[in-house]
Amino acid sequence: MKKSSIVGMVIIAITIGVIISTYADSSTYGSFTDAQETQKELHVVGKLNKKKEMVYNPQQDANYFSFYMVDNKGKECKVEFTGTKPQDFERSEQIVLTGQMDNGAFHANKILMKCPSKYTKDKIEITEVKAQIKS
Amino acid sequence: MDTQFVGEHLLPGKLGQFFIILSFGTSLIALLSYFFAANNKNQSDNSWQKLGRLAYRLNLFAVIGIGACLFYIIYSHYFEYHYAWAHSSKTLPVYYIISCFWEGQEGSFWLWTFWQAVLGCILIVKAKSWENSVMTVISLSQVFLATMLLGVEIFGAKIGSSPFVLLRDVVEGPIFSRADYLSLIQDGNGLNPLLQNYWMVIHPPTLFLGFASMVVPFAYGIAALWQKRYAEWVKPAMPWVLFAVMILGTGIIMGSFWAYEALNFGGFWAWDPVENASILPWITLIAGLHVMIAYKNSGHSYFTALFLIIISFILVLYASFLTRSGILGDTSVHAFTDLGMSGQLLIYMFAFIVLAAVLIIINWKKLPITKKDEETYSREFWLFIGSIVLVVSCIQILATTSIPVYNKIFGTSIAPPTNLIQHYNKWQIAFAFAIATISAFSQFLKYKKTDTRKFFISLSVSFVVAVLLTAVVVYFTDIYHNFMYILLTWAAIFSILCNAKLLGEALKGKWKLAGSAVAHIGFAFILVGALIAAANNKVISVNNTGIGFGNEFAKSNNPRENIILYKNEPIKMDKYTVTYMGDSTSGVNTYYRVNYKVYDGDKIKENFDLYPNAQQNAKMQQIIASPDTKHYLFHDIYTHVSSVPLKEDNHDHEGHSDDESYLPPVVHEVIVGDTVRFREGQIVVKSINRNATIKDIPLEKGDAAIGMNLEVLSANKKFEAEPIFLIKGNTKVDFGKTVDEAGLKLRFTNVLPDKGKLELTVYEKPKSEKKDWIVLKAIEFPYINLFWGGTIMMVIGFLLSIFRRSKEAKTT
Repeated sequence: MKKSSIVGMVIIAITIGVIISTYADSSTYGSFTDAQETQKELHVVGKLNKKKEMVYNPQQDANYFSFYMVDNKGKECKVEFTGTKPQDFERSEQIVLTGQMDNGAFHANKILMKCPSKYTKDKIEITEVKAQIKS
Repeated sequence: MDTQFVGEHLLPGKLGQFFIILSFGTSLIALLSYFFAANNKNQSDNSWQKLGRLAYRLNLFAVIGIGACLFYIIYSHYFEYHYAWAHSSKTLPVYYIISCFWEGQEGSFWLWTFWQAVLGCILIVKAKSWENSVMTVISLSQVFLATMLLGVEIFGAKIGSSPFVLLRDVVEGPIFSRADYLSLIQDGNGLNPLLQNYWMVIHPPTLFLGFASMVVPFAYGIAALWQKRYAEWVKPAMPWVLFAVMILGTGIIMGSFWAYEALNFGGFWAWDPVENASILPWITLIAGLHVMIAYKNSGHSYFTALFLIIISFILVLYASFLTRSGILGDTSVHAFTDLGMSGQLLIYMFAFIVLAAVLIIINWKKLPITKKDEETYSREFWLFIGSIVLVVSCIQILATTSIPVYNKIFGTSIAPPTNLIQHYNKWQIAFAFAIATISAFSQFLKYKKTDTRKFFISLSVSFVVAVLLTAVVVYFTDIYHNFMYILLTWAAIFSILCNAKLLGEALKGKWKLAGSAVAHIGFAFILVGALIAAANNKVISVNNTGIGFGNEFAKSNNPRENIILYKNEPIKMDKYTVTYMGDSTSGVNTYYRVNYKVYDGDKIKENFDLYPNAQQNAKMQQIIASPDTKHYLFHDIYTHVSSVPLKEDNHDHEGHSDDESYLPPVVHEVIVGDTVRFREGQIVVKSINRNATIKDIPLEKGDAAIGMNLEVLSANKKFEAEPIFLIKGNTKVDFGKTVDEAGLKLRFTNVLPDKGKLELTVYEKPKSEKKDWIVLKAIEFPYINLFWGGTIMMVIGFLLSIFRRSKEAKTT
């Protein structure tokens, strides 16, 4: 057999391994309801419930942050995070959590926020109104 | 109904828009002229070429014009322009105005087209017989880039996004019906604070020069197929490949250094999709470089070389699609938001894929592909294998990074791996091991055929020494508990040794080999440095003091990596005694002074301050933190604040009695010379001042004002205070003094003549409210200098190789 064909076969084998590994390691996007049914870590996308309280009290525990999030199916759940409150959290438009359910609360290992792009239409009005009062 | 707006400066924008049209026009003319020039068989007629040159040079002029107009607009704070309003503000220091360019997509496209224009002009001078065909390809790319800035609508489709659009044309709002709307816009939105860092001034231009220069080898490859000069392109393209690899590599590492120095994600590489997107073309181009060398010396691997050079540029286009189309929104923190140009970016990419594919298919039969098999003990064979390993490593990164793309195409909802870093590392460490090993032993191989006996003899010495050294290194760096880490360390050390041997020979006179040896040694150092720093970085700010949040929470085994520091209260953290000393504000940044001390017994062995900073934005209730790092030769102490009290919250609440904010007072009866202890220190009664005066209260006869001179010692600091006791007529009044830094209020409340004592009342602030605090995270990165040092070595290696290869290209 030619060496190049052996090399080719090895490449194909590794590539298949890579694809399987990507698939095996990949997680799924789900809802809080899905999270209750599984022990696996998954991604939940949702929005911060700004009306409910957010707890971050560094003087008591600098590594505890909790808040309430409503997932895309409309279910609300308490979220706990071991770590500090991410910067700019209140302004997040959308949150992607990675983690699992733990005793009725969702335990997030990672929080990824999407913040509003700077040019939302209503924002400029607010800025302007403020400027007007000042001048 | 046309409103006449007051105070707008429309000229620079109109001029800028003119330059955009000019850059588009000239690139189109350059494309056509060079195309005809390349197809022209009449040697004596070079009028097309002349026109092409003129057009391309004009293009560079136009592109510089765009940049100048945009700079002028931002510099002059013309907020009637959307770009200036969205990306800058009046408070921005001048040297960061340049960073505003690349906060927006338009500016970064400009940067790309600028470099491509510059590189084209260099090629006009340097490319000689390749000029016409190579410049045709580059002009085509330049046309595509020019359309990205056009910002015109044709048949309802918006083409490009111009940086010169007016604010009132983009944003709707009632204020824009007012003629004097500009007077209401006080300031722009400002630059993202994370970009206000000197690395962000030089990292994007370097990175984009790297991206832009990748078009050159690609253009040579395409030109070779088009002009049927199949074999000739390798030599002139080689210096450009090296240049692109060097610049892009430097740019990527600069970005990683910026992330390390300015971002607080705690590391230098996070496998973020945006980072991955930039490293993909770099890996394939490195692979391409090696097979080009193999082809040049042995005639093998022709197609692999051509394919890799072409795919590298396609990957640049794919990377810009990923980062600019908004598709990474759910997976990356760095990506741009969508500007509605995904379609355009895809057309750009597919145009070049189709162009390359068609040319390859047409010429397939004529390509100089050898049918022979390489010898196993030959350098070309292992250059080829090494490149293939690089390609497979690239496929792995590509496969995971592209998950959002599959979701888009197939409508699936696959999420990226939850433990992303582990997912990448388990593959990439194996690939890195293979590559380092190959880069070691293939140095002893010769082209065509090697004497195997000699080969194994010279190899065995390095092999054994590498094993011994590895044992020492893994022991001292504490990474022996992971088998893969040991293997990779060994491979890197093996590579360093083999290449050092080569370098030794180079110094003896075979200087030609120095470049590759130095670059390989640098690369091996990068591997070891990255491995040790990433595997063994240690959070030293482990929280041992925090009160748990109930059992429910204590169960989770997440390490508590943040620690709260109260002002002037030292806390032991690893071997450091860490104290938060206070903050100072400079511009928009608040710097938190954190003192680190290392004690050896009672002696202070080390003493230094770090100033991690945070930008406080009271309006938005947020902080943006940047780390500060103490660099040692063998490790770094990296520190950033994770949370600080917002400045707004620090205002005293009015309407409360002042004393409410203190703990119940403690009354002491003292005489001069007494010492009173309080929680944080002591108060010494120094003397009595019988002639104390009180502002605004005149003393009459019979009145007495006595001051008590106190010295407060708290946290190694001395404060003076003089509370006053006043007898005015029949009433006793006292005037307390506060010592804010010590959290104290001191009152001289009575004189007890019968006891011969004085009454001192001490109010202390409760512990938590008393002082400022910060939440800190500190990480120790061991041996990270190997990573940065390796980078510098690798760049030097590339530079040496560029000199060698461009000399070779000239001699033919």
